[in-house]
Amino acid sequence: MQKMFTKKRRLVYLLLPLGVFALSLVLMSSSHREAPLISNDPLADNTDLYVFRSPDNSNRVNIIANYIPFELPQGGPNYYNFGTNIRYEVHIDNNINTKGDDIIYRFTFQNTNEDPSTFFNIRLGKQNLKTTYTLQRSMNGGMSFTNIITNGVVPPNNIGARSIEQPVGLNRTYNAIMNDAILTATTGEKVFCGPIDDPFFVDLGGAFDLGDLPRQGDGARDGLAKYNVHSICLQIDISTLQKDGKTVAQAANILDPNYVIGVWASSSRRATKTLQSANGGSPFDLTGGGTFTEDGAWVQVSRLAVPLVNEVINPIGSKDLWNALTPYQDLANIGTFGEYSYNPELALYMDDSKFGAAIPAFRALRVQSRSLGQFDFRNGRMGLFGLKGSPALAGTALAESAFGGLLLPGPGKPRSVDIWPIIHTGVPNMRPYQLATGKGGNPLAEGKPFIGNFLPNGGDMIRLNMAVPITPRNSVDFSSLGLVQAAVLGLTDPRFNTNKNLEFIPNMDGFPNGRRLEDDVTRIELQAIGGVVLAALGLFYDDYNPAAMPAQSPVTNRLVNTITYSTGVEKNDTTFKTAFPFVQTPWRGTLITNQ
Amino acid sequence: MKRKIYASILMGVMLVNTFPVTALASSHREAPMILGDPLADNTDVYAFRNPDDPTKVTLIANFIPFQLPQGGPNFYQFGENVRYEIHIDNNVANNTYTAGDDIVYRFTFSKTNEDPTTFFNIRLGKQNLKTTYQLDRSMDGGVNFTTIVTKGIVPPPNIGPRSISSPVGLNAPDYNTLINNAVATASTGEKVFCGTADDPFFVDLGGIFDLGDAPRTGNVGTKPVDGLKCKNVSTIVMQVDIATLQKDKKAVSQAKNILDGDYVIGVWASASRRKIRTLNTNGTESFQGAWVQVSRLGMPLTNEVINPIGEKDLWNSLTPYEEGAIGDNIYNFDQIFNDNLYNPELALYMDDSQFGGAVPAFTPLRIQKASLGQFDFRNGKMGLQGLKGNPALAGTALDEAIAGGILLPGPGKPRSVDMYPIFRTGVPNLRPYQLATGKGGNPLAAGKPFINNFLPNRGDMLRLNMAVPPTPRNSADFNTLGLVWAAVLGLTDPRFNTNTTLQNIPNMDGFPNGRRLEDDVTRIELQTVSGIVLAAIGLSYEEPARLGQVLGYTTGVERNDTTLKAMFPYVQTPWPGNCNCAGQATGYVQPAVLPPSASTMGIAAPEFFMTTAPNPASGTTTIRYRVETPSQVLLEVYNEAGNRIQVLVNQRQEEGTYTVPFNTSTLSSGIYFVKAVSNGQIKQALRIVKN
Repeated sequence: MQKMFTKKRRLVYLLLPLGVFALSLVLMSSSHREAPLISNDPLADNTDLYVFRSPDNSNRVNIIANYIPFELPQGGPNYYNFGTNIRYEVHIDNNINTKGDDIIYRFTFQNTNEDPSTFFNIRLGKQNLKTTYTLQRSMNGGMSFTNIITNGVVPPNNIGARSIEQPVGLNRTYNAIMNDAILTATTGEKVFCGPIDDPFFVDLGGAFDLGDLPRQGDGARDGLAKYNVHSICLQIDISTLQKDGKTVAQAANILDPNYVIGVWASSSRRATKTLQSANGGSPFDLTGGGTFTEDGAWVQVSRLAVPLVNEVINPIGSKDLWNALTPYQDLANIGTFGEYSYNPELALYMDDSKFGAAIPAFRALRVQSRSLGQFDFRNGRMGLFGLKGSPALAGTALAESAFGGLLLPGPGKPRSVDIWPIIHTGVPNMRPYQLATGKGGNPLAEGKPFIGNFLPNGGDMIRLNMAVPITPRNSVDFSSLGLVQAAVLGLTDPRFNTNKNLEFIPNMDGFPNGRRLEDDVTRIELQAIGGVVLAALGLFYDDYNPAAMPAQSPVTNRLVNTITYSTGVEKNDTTFKTAFPFVQTPWRGTLITNQ
Repeated sequence: MKRKIYASILMGVMLVNTFPVTALASSHREAPMILGDPLADNTDVYAFRNPDDPTKVTLIANFIPFQLPQGGPNFYQFGENVRYEIHIDNNVANNTYTAGDDIVYRFTFSKTNEDPTTFFNIRLGKQNLKTTYQLDRSMDGGVNFTTIVTKGIVPPPNIGPRSISSPVGLNAPDYNTLINNAVATASTGEKVFCGTADDPFFVDLGGIFDLGDAPRTGNVGTKPVDGLKCKNVSTIVMQVDIATLQKDKKAVSQAKNILDGDYVIGVWASASRRKIRTLNTNGTESFQGAWVQVSRLGMPLTNEVINPIGEKDLWNSLTPYEEGAIGDNIYNFDQIFNDNLYNPELALYMDDSQFGGAVPAFTPLRIQKASLGQFDFRNGKMGLQGLKGNPALAGTALDEAIAGGILLPGPGKPRSVDMYPIFRTGVPNLRPYQLATGKGGNPLAAGKPFINNFLPNRGDMLRLNMAVPPTPRNSADFNTLGLVWAAVLGLTDPRFNTNTTLQNIPNMDGFPNGRRLEDDVTRIELQTVSGIVLAAIGLSYEEPARLGQVLGYTTGVERNDTTLKAMFPYVQTPWPGNCNCAGQATGYVQPAVLPPSASTMGIAAPEFFMTTAPNPASGTTTIRYRVETPSQVLLEVYNEAGNRIQVLVNQRQEEGTYTVPFNTSTLSSGIYFVKAVSNGQIKQALRIVKN
């Protein structure tokens, strides 16, 4: 093995064929109705979570948590709104040395009927189910909370011109109403809560018809096009989020590990709901009819961090339990949930010795079965476990003295080195988690840094290194492939692939280093399960055989197939705003024509 | 007078016939509380005599609104821990149990995961959240129940062809086979189907709830859209012998006539949950306590547009019998619910002295304010209350000795004579509830019978006289305006308007005498709020042109977005997850998947590799090719005769993958070849079929 890695290779700095760039680089619902129980409780159903440095203010980070899937813009008469009796929360871990959350934002909503005599939602300036919120913040992991917004306004649904702009309605433009709902908390955060276009995009119909992504029979369709969602948007100073209160200017470098935050969102309900009935009798007493009470402890009913985890990583039998746990309980339940990352179900469909033939749409994706002639990452195989304890691992993240205990937990868990850490720990800027650029063919050697979002609490979170600069959205380098595209550039672009220095490579601020609204996370995750991250580190695909063909480029057809793989739905069905809250105005009920 | 009435009606009809004849979701997410509980949300109830077997009545109750065909991974299914019930009242007589329901059908559902290791709903013949049901029936008003279907099959959601009909899925011949296999016959003879179906309701949701903009007027550039287009719903369909439903177990052949009052049933549906729901910390729920009703439905749109928001949750929690009893007590509770019918909110928007100017879409709809020179039916006005106790009412339904107490309850409740009975009691075949035909201008005189679905329990129900013959769906007379159209025919069609004899006028089996799947209930109800029933019985509009305008009024969405089945279960196959309306097309063209690079295969990778899609093509097909080594690339198109007709590429290209569009739209149908030449050597020829 040693011999193979040290063999002189001329293809140290990889060149991806230009053709790849000529292709438009192009991927499912993140967590919409993803588990049996929560699919019956739409108001508490957390659909997506985004965490990204703000393109319009580099000192700030945006956190967007979305709820209530598949809102029809025309869904009257009551439309959709945040639920009362629900705690909607955004949680932040910024310090591995403190147990659990460090910061919690807690939103609670109230609604009132301004005119209970009508069935219309809005009439003559009056609005029913008019919703306001209280925002509380805890800076000590939930021990104490302070109110930082009271009576925050939630805009109405975008029903139509008569209800919004016309004098018989609210007599204002929707965007004016939306802008007025952007508030500044007493502690400086910008906040918006309201209906928006669902920024997620995915071919739902194809995906869940046994993985028909991209569709083999007919064309791809964005199954979330023209649906709305209710969004909680926060814009927060990096110095508020950083564990020591430091500004981003004080970061040691763009991968400073002290700037890593882990973010997750949740919703909770009271343990007991009691439906009341009218008292009845004669004379008939209506008291209590059509009401309910809720009491008892708060119980978490939905959670979300890394997209699609409870959608396509956890199988149906475990989804409801997962929603009830906090990320800090994931490690304790690794016996149940670890396996879904170590041996992901989706990898069965990218493996010809398993169910590879069952999903023709995934034929571009094949997991490495003999990377560098020896490493087999197919489900149930050894992956890198054969190296455990080897002196060759000294100084790498896989060394026992480092994180070998987490990352090489046992035989038959091949994806413990890529899929598991991407979801549960983040990835450190350490060997072997550097690009193959400069590694001289040895994946364990030092290469070009591209990620450092390590926060090894073992829980599913979106981890963002806040020190990584922002890729401007209008840059030609901006790509919805996120960190995968940063890796492609670091491996193939002459601006970045001639040295192994730490440089800012565009899209290093993309998923899975945080998550931008534009990131095509379905595609990125399917590519990751297809082994693209392993390949980026130098654990190339089976059709790379330098032993037989010393001059062969590691950019083999299989790598090209993986990089060019697409689900066929590559971007949102509308644009994003260029300023907070970035998410787009909700679709109008009267403008929906083709659903 | 008689001639004049006929003439004005006739004029109205002629107007109508030049209009496309055509009207809200019935009860989809209609009340604040139930919108948080979609599984228990009752959306529509239908009750109609079978077109294909007139000895039977079909009852349909739909639940779980707005199901997206593509709504995976868990899709939608009847809930466990919910009681779904269809209730029938066939007897208002005061005996042991008929103070309420006589027959109750109760459905309870169970789910199981056949393969809990996958996130897919269906994989390799196994189905998760696989649902079965038990049907219990009570013939004594809910005291005793007998199980009549056990382990009834509920088909899976119609996910798509891979999940349903491919070997990696269920390997079924097609989805309809699964539907047919799920049709059960109860031990007591009822035919039963529980499963997913196309939502048969149709309504311009976006327009109507934007302050009543149906048909669209105020939104520039928008047209009426069926807001339920391409949405599925979970349906319970039952076909029951009329003899089972009739109070004395008589067959329909024993009916005295087609309006025999002994054949009236009132139908309503409900969903109930246990009183206490407890969330456990391990992701499970527990349920305990008494069953509490959380959703109900009888007449369409009652809780949607009749009851205001402040009363909707309460309404859902009551039975129709409780609702009917509210007015009896010493409290002044009739302001709740009853007044929503005596003075409906929608009528405010059809009344220029109120908010008539606020809803321009309702401009054709105006309520009688001086019918026959004296009767004002606008909200808060007197209606027919001035006649109360008048000897002229003797023998009519408004007679104190008959139903005057219910129908003329007091001043300022003008719609107590039409809206209230249509929703709460049904309408008897008694004066004045006969067509103006033959009345000689006096609405209180005897006219032509057209309805009798009187079952005065005062609760909101769908009331059907089962003796009324079904109108064949392929009849030229069949009309989605239901009983409104029967009235039009009875007043204007020479086959029916020359006598006052009881005749079978087509569509007498239509809403609000029961409800057929085709009936345009939104339109009919808006026309009814506007006073069209009053006009039909001779309380004509004061403006000569008004009847035509009201009759011609349409919401712009007049029918379902697909067909109905001619046979049980009548509702249409659910939209599959891969259908064209489930999501927005992106136009993505998949690139060729390259074979593995050479080294491990022991063979050289092709120097040139080209594919195209779509093929066959009618418009633009996209050719993709990969250049393995930098070379001069020439792509030429030849027709079948071998003539070169186009050069697509002729340039030096680096290694990489390229795409080039090839527009075939101007080419005649046939076979074409794309020849690829690299460094002067022919590498590949692609055959493209132009359709």
